[in-house]
Amino acid sequence: MAIKRHLPEAEDLNLVPVMNLVTILIPFLLMAAEFVSLAVIDSTLPAIGPPVPVEEEPDKKPLNLSLALTHEGVTVLGADAVLNPAGAPPVVEGEKRPPTVPCKSGGRCTNLEDYDWAELTRILALIKDEYPDDENVILVPDSKLKYEVIVKTMDSSREDKSNRGPDGSSRVLFPFVVIAGGALN
Amino acid sequence: MALKKARRPKDSAGLNITSMMDMMTIILVFLLKSYSTSDVSVAPSDMLQLPSSSAQKPPELAVNLVVARNQIVVDGVPVLNLTTIPDEDNPGQYLAAVPEDEKKGQSIDKLYQRLLDKAEAAKALAEQSGSEEHAFKGRVLIQCDKELPFAVLREVMYTAGQAQFGEFKFVVYKTE
Repeated sequence: MAIKRHLPEAEDLNLVPVMNLVTILIPFLLMAAEFVSLAVIDSTLPAIGPPVPVEEEPDKKPLNLSLALTHEGVTVLGADAVLNPAGAPPVVEGEKRPPTVPCKSGGRCTNLEDYDWAELTRILALIKDEYPDDENVILVPDSKLKYEVIVKTMDSSREDKSNRGPDGSSRVLFPFVVIAGGALN
Repeated sequence: MALKKARRPKDSAGLNITSMMDMMTIILVFLLKSYSTSDVSVAPSDMLQLPSSSAQKPPELAVNLVVARNQIVVDGVPVLNLTTIPDEDNPGQYLAAVPEDEKKGQSIDKLYQRLLDKAEAAKALAEQSGSEEHAFKGRVLIQCDKELPFAVLREVMYTAGQAQFGEFKFVVYKTE
């Protein structure tokens, strides 16, 4: 007992140098911190797009899938063999053909969510079933269409999120996008 | 005097920094998690709001072409200002547009000159280094405001194409 009384008291750990270090590290890390993460979408000019495979099956017509984007909705072009096997439905003289995927509210789309993206993805998945090797899609947007609608169309045509494989990755539809210059009337 | 001295405590109390250390350690971990060394930087503003997308491809270094609602910027240097025109379909609304006197047909003259300079500089650099890695591929990162009409983007893309930039990479915010 007598020995214990003579032991020196345990000193506190001196944390001040650690504090200094951490305080300097924090502004440095704040500078390099990234709070929004970025991604890119590839696209090319129509003339120099990714090469189209030359060997095509003779009995299958090549798919030139195009999506015409307007304020009324999205029109799928070049896939009539899948969408309308019996031929295109007749159009009343003097009227415009309605878009393949009209706006949810009918008439003119007011915002981004008014376009029926799920339906567009479903139709593109049907086309992909028929043309599994095709990966190109041509976008033909209207001049006044907002850029975000074009980006959303690229998202909808790139992958089918409702159809996930065993590894959790969604089914790839048409990842190579080419943006064409003019809109169809 | 004697009374006052007696009341003062012998040692001044030490600052207890343990709790502050705890906090700093947590902040440190959080900041380390969001640490990134990305090549591409975005300066968001009222005039430049990128769209969100489910794309997952990471950005890579290339010529940075920013198309905000009021101006076009190449690699941090403003090239020209955009104007607004009344929207015929929505009376009272305005759309951004490239001023008519800056255009030659579809091509935007000032932007064409600037991009051509960039392309030639990149080619000269590629020739000097001689390696395949630095070859000029005509890549351009396009940061475009989500509200811009496609007409502006089409003119910008056409101009970039004329100036030998044919590989577009649209920068978007990653979701998920």
